[in-house]
Amino acid sequence: MSRPNIAASLLATLLAGAALSAQTYRAPRTASGQPDLNGFWQALNTANWDLEAHEAAAGPVLQLGAAYAVPPGAGVVVDGPIPYKPDALAMKRKYAANALREDAEVKCYLPGVPRVMYMPYPVQIVQSTDTILMMSEFASAVRTIYVNGTARPPADTWMGWSNGKWDGETLVIDSRGFMGGTVGALDEEGAVHVRFLDRAGNYHTDGLHVVERIRRTDADHLEYEATIEDPNVYTRPWTIRMPLYRRVEPNMRLGDFKCEEFVGDLVYGKYQKK
Amino acid sequence: MRNLLVAALLAAFAASVGAQGQKSTYKVPRTPDGQPDFQGYWTNLTYTPYERPKELANKPFYTEKEAIEVFDKAVDGSENQVVHYVNTDFGATPVQTGAKPNLRTSLVIDPPDGRIPPMTPEAQKREAARAAAQRAGGPLARTWRDDRGTVWCVFHERAVPAVTAPYGSNYQIVQSKNYIVMIYEWNSERRVISLDEPHGTVPLYAGDSRGHWEGDTLVVDTINFNPKRTFMGSPGTPPAVSVTPTFHLMERFTRTADDTIVHTYTVDDPMTWTRPWTVEMPLHRIKGPMLEYACNENNVDAFTTLRNARLQEAGKLAPPDRTRSVEDPKATVLEREEKK
Repeated sequence: MSRPNIAASLLATLLAGAALSAQTYRAPRTASGQPDLNGFWQALNTANWDLEAHEAAAGPVLQLGAAYAVPPGAGVVVDGPIPYKPDALAMKRKYAANALREDAEVKCYLPGVPRVMYMPYPVQIVQSTDTILMMSEFASAVRTIYVNGTARPPADTWMGWSNGKWDGETLVIDSRGFMGGTVGALDEEGAVHVRFLDRAGNYHTDGLHVVERIRRTDADHLEYEATIEDPNVYTRPWTIRMPLYRRVEPNMRLGDFKCEEFVGDLVYGKYQKK
Repeated sequence: MRNLLVAALLAAFAASVGAQGQKSTYKVPRTPDGQPDFQGYWTNLTYTPYERPKELANKPFYTEKEAIEVFDKAVDGSENQVVHYVNTDFGATPVQTGAKPNLRTSLVIDPPDGRIPPMTPEAQKREAARAAAQRAGGPLARTWRDDRGTVWCVFHERAVPAVTAPYGSNYQIVQSKNYIVMIYEWNSERRVISLDEPHGTVPLYAGDSRGHWEGDTLVVDTINFNPKRTFMGSPGTPPAVSVTPTFHLMERFTRTADDTIVHTYTVDDPMTWTRPWTVEMPLHRIKGPMLEYACNENNVDAFTTLRNARLQEAGKLAPPDRTRSVEDPKATVLEREEKK
C-alpha cells in the first residue's frame, strides 16, 4: 500500500469513527423505552429565507431596510440544486417575484411540513408512546405523529398526515395528504396557489410526500433530515439536512404567536371600514 | 333499533351516575410514567344547559326516568343539524358524537341555583359600555375583528374555560412525563399544561396552565389570560364578558371509568362576578382521530361577511333574510337576494 493510500485510509477511518460516534449516540429513553425527543427545538439557520445557498440581499419591503433584509446562508439542500422540472423552475421564479402575495407565511396560514421545523420559532415535542405532538409557536401549528400508524390521510390538510416509526435511534416520519394551496378562494387576497417551502419561492403542490428522519446527536441537538418528493414539481426526490438546537432557557415555553391578529387588516383591508 | 339505543343510553347513564355519586372501585390505567392515563379523544358535548332554567331552581338533579326523557326530547328537538352518516365527521350532533344523559339539571353546580352569580356593579357598567361601543358601530361588520357575523380565528373561546358548543366540542389529550396537552377540535386550539414549571408572566389566550397530581386527580391552575379575549358563556347564557387580569380558573380532572373523565372547574374573577362559581362537565370517550381545523386559511366567511356588508351599505345587496326552506321546513336557510 503506497503512502498516500495509507493516509487516505487513515483519514477514512478517522472520518468513519467521527460519523460512527454520532451514529451510535444513544439517546436517553422515555419510560416506554423510546429515544427521548421531548423538549423545545429550533433551527438556527437561514433555511426559511432560502433552502439553497444564497448571498445576502435586500428584503422585499423597502421601508424595513436592514431589519428584513435576507441574511446569507450556505443552504441546507444535501443533493442540490433542487431538481425542478423546467416548467416548474419557471413557475418558481414567477412565484418568487410575487412572494409577498403567494407566501402563506405572510398570511399566517399553517406552514406545513417540512417548513414548520425550520421556521424561526420554537417547536415543542411532547412525546407519548403512540402519539408524538410537534407544536410550533408559529400560528399555533400542531402536527400529530401517529407512531406505527398506517392510516392513509382521510383528507388533505395544511399540516398533512404523519405516520411515524422508530428505526433504532431514529424517528422516521412519512407524511402525505397536504393541501396544495387554497381551494375556491373568494378573493385573491386570501388565495395561495402553491405552498412555499421558504421565502425564496421554492414550492410544492398537493403531490408532496415527505420522509423525515430525526435523531438525537447529543444532549442538546437533533439531526433533522427531510426527503421531499413531488412529481408535479421535481424530477427526483431531494433531501435537506440541518441540526435543530435545544432551547435551554429555564422555564422555556411556547408563547402565543396567533398571527392572524397581525394580518387581518392586510388580508381583508379592502373590505373594511375605518 | 330504538330499543338498542335506549339500552346503550341506560348503560352510559349508569356510568354517569357512578361518576357523580357512589365511591367508585375503578382502577385508572397508568401511563408508562405512572400517571393516570387520560390520553385519547373525548367530548364534553351535552344537552344539559350550562345555566339551570329558572323553573328548576330548586331541583339540581333529575330522576333517572326524567333524565332519559329530557335527553330524548333534546335529541328529537335538535333542529337545524345536518345528519352525518359518519360519526367522526366534524359538525355531527351531540348524540352522534357521544353525548350522554346527565342527572344534573345544569352544568353550573354552585351557586346552588345553578346560575352564574351576578356581576359586580363596576363590571355591569364596564360590560354595558362595551356593548354600547359595539352597537355604535352599526349593524354591519366593519372590520375582521367584529363579532357580527365574521368568524374570528385567533382563538376559540369555548376551549378554555370549557363551555358547551352545538358540535365539535372534542378534545385530544396527549401526555408526556412533564406535560399534558389538550387540543380542542374547534380551531385546533391547544393547551399545553406544564407539570413542573412555574407560571410565566406573558398572557396567553388559553391562559397559563400549571398542573399537578393530587392522588389520581389532575389539578390545573390557570392565570394570565389574554385580556383581549372574552368569556363566551354558552348557548342560552348571557352575552360574552371581558376576561380581566384577575380571571382565575381552578380545574380538577378525574377519570372515573374507561369512558368518563369528570371535569369540574371554578371560575373566580373578583373584577367581574360577586362570587366564584363552579361547573361540572363530564368528558365522554369518543373515537378519533381529530383532523386539523384550518380556520384562518382562506376564511371565506370573513371575506363574504365584510364584502356583503360593504355591498349592503352601497345599496347593491339586500339584507340577508332568514326564511324557512320550502322543501325542508326543519332546515333554516340563509337567502340572499341580489338587488336588480
